[in-house]
Amino acid sequence: MRIFDPHIHMTSRTTDDYEAMFAAGVRALVEPSFWLGQPRTSVASFTDYFDSLIGWERFRAAQFGIRHHCTIALNPKEANDPRCAEVLGVLPRYLAKDGVVAVGEVGYDSMTPEEDTAFATQLALAVEHELPALVHTPHRDKLAGTKRTLDVVRESGIDPGRVIVDHLNEPTVGLVAESGCWMGFSIYPDTKMDEKRMVAILQEYGTDRMVVNSAADWGRSDPLKTYKTGLAMLDAGFAESDVDKVLWRNPVGFYGQSDRLVLDELPGFAPSPQTFAGNSVLRGGGQ
Amino acid sequence: MTFHLGYGTNGFANHRLEDALRVIADLGYTAVALTLDHHHLDPYADDVVKQTKHVAGLLDDLGLRCVVETGARYLLDPYRKHHPTLVCDEPGRRIDFLNRAVRIAADLNADCVSFWSGIRPSTVEPETAWRRLRSGVATVLDEAAAHGVPLGLEPEPGMFVEHLSEALRLREELGAPELLGITLDVGHCVAVEPDDAATCLRRAAGLLVNVQLDDMRTGVHEHLEFGEGELNLPGTLAALTEVGYAGVAAVELPRHSHAAPDVAARAITALRAASVLPARPSDVEWVTQVDHPWLVEAEARVRRDPTAIRTLFPAVGRKVGRAALRTETDPQGLVHGTVDDLARTRLLATLAEVLDGAELAGEVAQLYRYGDDAERRGVLRGLAALPPAAAEAGVDIVKDALRANDIRLVAAAMGEFGARNLDDHSWRHGVLKCLFVGVPLAAVADLDRRTDAELLRMVGDYAAERRAAGREVPADAVTLLEATP
Repeated sequence: MRIFDPHIHMTSRTTDDYEAMFAAGVRALVEPSFWLGQPRTSVASFTDYFDSLIGWERFRAAQFGIRHHCTIALNPKEANDPRCAEVLGVLPRYLAKDGVVAVGEVGYDSMTPEEDTAFATQLALAVEHELPALVHTPHRDKLAGTKRTLDVVRESGIDPGRVIVDHLNEPTVGLVAESGCWMGFSIYPDTKMDEKRMVAILQEYGTDRMVVNSAADWGRSDPLKTYKTGLAMLDAGFAESDVDKVLWRNPVGFYGQSDRLVLDELPGFAPSPQTFAGNSVLRGGGQ
Repeated sequence: MTFHLGYGTNGFANHRLEDALRVIADLGYTAVALTLDHHHLDPYADDVVKQTKHVAGLLDDLGLRCVVETGARYLLDPYRKHHPTLVCDEPGRRIDFLNRAVRIAADLNADCVSFWSGIRPSTVEPETAWRRLRSGVATVLDEAAAHGVPLGLEPEPGMFVEHLSEALRLREELGAPELLGITLDVGHCVAVEPDDAATCLRRAAGLLVNVQLDDMRTGVHEHLEFGEGELNLPGTLAALTEVGYAGVAAVELPRHSHAAPDVAARAITALRAASVLPARPSDVEWVTQVDHPWLVEAEARVRRDPTAIRTLFPAVGRKVGRAALRTETDPQGLVHGTVDDLARTRLLATLAEVLDGAELAGEVAQLYRYGDDAERRGVLRGLAALPPAAAEAGVDIVKDALRANDIRLVAAAMGEFGARNLDDHSWRHGVLKCLFVGVPLAAVADLDRRTDAELLRMVGDYAAERRAAGREVPADAVTLLEATP
C-alpha cells in the first residue's frame, strides 16, 4: 500500500510516528498550517512556524524517507485576533516556496465577519498564486458552516476542482459532492470520521474526488488511520486499485495541480531499479 | 555521476573483442560502446546469434553496460569506407546492417543502436538525400519498435546530418518517434557546433541515448585525448549530471588503437579528475558553465529590477533542478552542493553587480530570513561570491545556520565564506558540530589551514567522550587527530 497523507500536522508528532508511517507505506504527506493548540499572539510566531514547515519539518521527514509538503494560510480560528490577522501581508512570500502545494487551512471556525474576510482574501491569494485551496469546515454547526463555505468558494471564482473541503461527514458529503470540490475526510479515534463509516461513504458516493487523511496533530489522533482505512476498504471488498486511488492517486491528483509536488524516492530509502533516461522501458527483455 | 563511463571498442581495433572488454572493465569503466565490425561480433557471421549470446554473458560477468555503434569503416564494402550509407543511391545494405544491429542490441540488452547519416555524394541533391534519410530511418525504426531498441542519430562532421539542429529537425519531421533519440559526440560539438558541448547536451537532454567523449579543436574533426583540444571536460561532465543523463558516456578514440590500454587508462584518470573538481562558488569558471536558459533570463531580470530576486530565488529548484552536483560521491550535496545551489550563487553574484553594499546586505539577509531550506542553503553557499561589504550580514547568517540542525545548512555554513570570516571560536564549534551531526569534514573549507591546537583538543575530548560511552568515534575525527601531530 502506498500512502499519501494529505493532511497531517507532523510538527506535533514524534520520530516514532515517522518510522511507523514509513513502515505502513506513507511516502509523502502534506502538513497544513494551522493552530498550535495554544493561541499565537504575533505575526512572528506565524513566520517561525511557516519557516519550520518549509525547512526543518521537511528535513526531518526526509530522514525517514517521507516527502514533506505543506500548505500556508492564516487559519480561521486566529483570523479573529487582530494581532494575528496581519500575517496576511507576509503570506505571498511563503506561497512562492517550493513544497507549498496549497493555500490552507482556510475556512470557518465560528463564522464571524473577520473569518469571512480572511477566507475570501485567501481564496483570492490562491487564484493569484495558481495554487489549490484546502478548506477546513467548522466542528461546531458543521452543516450550516459547510453550506456557507461552498457559497464563499462559488463567489470567489476559484475552480471548484482546485478546492478540497475537509473534515466532512455523512451530513455534509452530499453538498460537497454536488459542488465539484474535492472531498476530504479526517479519520480519528473518537471524533470526526472512523474507518467503517468512511468505507460506507465510499460505497455510497464512489471514489472520485475522495481523499482520506489522518489529520493527526497534538490531540488524540492516529497517524496510521490512512493505512487502517485502506485495510478496512480491502476488508469490505474494494480492490487494491481503489485503495491506491483513494490513498495515493487522488491526493496526488489534487495537490499535483500546484506543480510543486516532489514524489521521487529519497536516496537511500528504496531499492532503485535500473532506469534509463528517467524511465524503465524494457529493451529486448521479452525475447 | 548519474551516467556510466565507458570506452569504445573501435579504439581497441587491434584487440580481440573479449580481450578488449576485459581490459576496459579492468581499467574501471562500467560501460562499453561496441562497434560491430568484421572482427568484433560480425553481424554477417553464420553463428552471430551464438556469438552475441556469448558476448552478452561476458558483458554481464564484467558488469559492463553497452551501446551498439555502427560506424565500422569497411564492413559493408571492402573498397569504399562507410559505404553504402542511408543517403546514397542504394542504401539497402546499410538498412539491412542497421536492422541486424538492432537485433544484436536487443540480444545484448544494449541501451541503443547509434548511427549516422553518411556523407552526401556530390551527385545526390540535398532534397533527395533528405528523403532517403527519412525513409531509411523510418524503416529501421520499424525494426527498432519490433525489438524495443532505441536508436541514436549521431550528427557527424562532414556528413549530411552534421549538426545537432539537423538531427533534431529530422526527428521532428518523422513525428518525434519515442524510439529515435540522439547520440552526441562532445568533441564534435567543439569542432563544428555553434555552441559548446555543455549547451548542446542541455539542448538534447531528454533525447540523449548515447554520449561519446573525446577532445577536439574548433574546426578540426580529429579525435584527441582529453587535454589535447579545447573541450571543457569538467563543464561537460557537469552538464551531463545537471540534465540527469543516466546512460552510457563512452570515450571515442578510434585512431588510438595502437596504444589502446595506455590511452584508455589516461582517459579514465582524466575523467575521474574532471568529475571531482571542486564546484565551490568562488570557482568562477565553473559557475559560469551553467547557462540554463531560465537562469540566464533570471539574471537579466535581476539586472533590470533587483527586487525580482525575491520571486526568482524561491523558484530556482523548480526551474533548473535540485540534483547534487556529484551524486556518486556526495548524494546529498553536502560537500559540493547542488544544481540549485549553483544557480542561486549566480543570482546572488548578479545582485551584487547592481546593488551597493548596504542594500545588498539587506536584501541577502531578507532572502535568508524568508528562505526555505534550499534557499537558505543557496544564500550560505553564495556568500563567498559577494563583495566584502556583505560580509557582516553574512557572518550573522552563517551563525544562524550553525544553530540549526539541518545538516545541509550546517555543511553550507562551513564553506569558504565561513572559513574566511568566522572567528576562531565559532569556526571550531562549527567543525565539532559537523562531527556531531554527520557532515563530512570534506565539506569544511580550509580545514587544514584553520585547524589549531584548541580544535584538536576539542575533537580529542569528543573522541574520548565517545569511547567512554562505548561508541564509535567518527572516522573523520580519527583522521583529523591522526593527521596532526
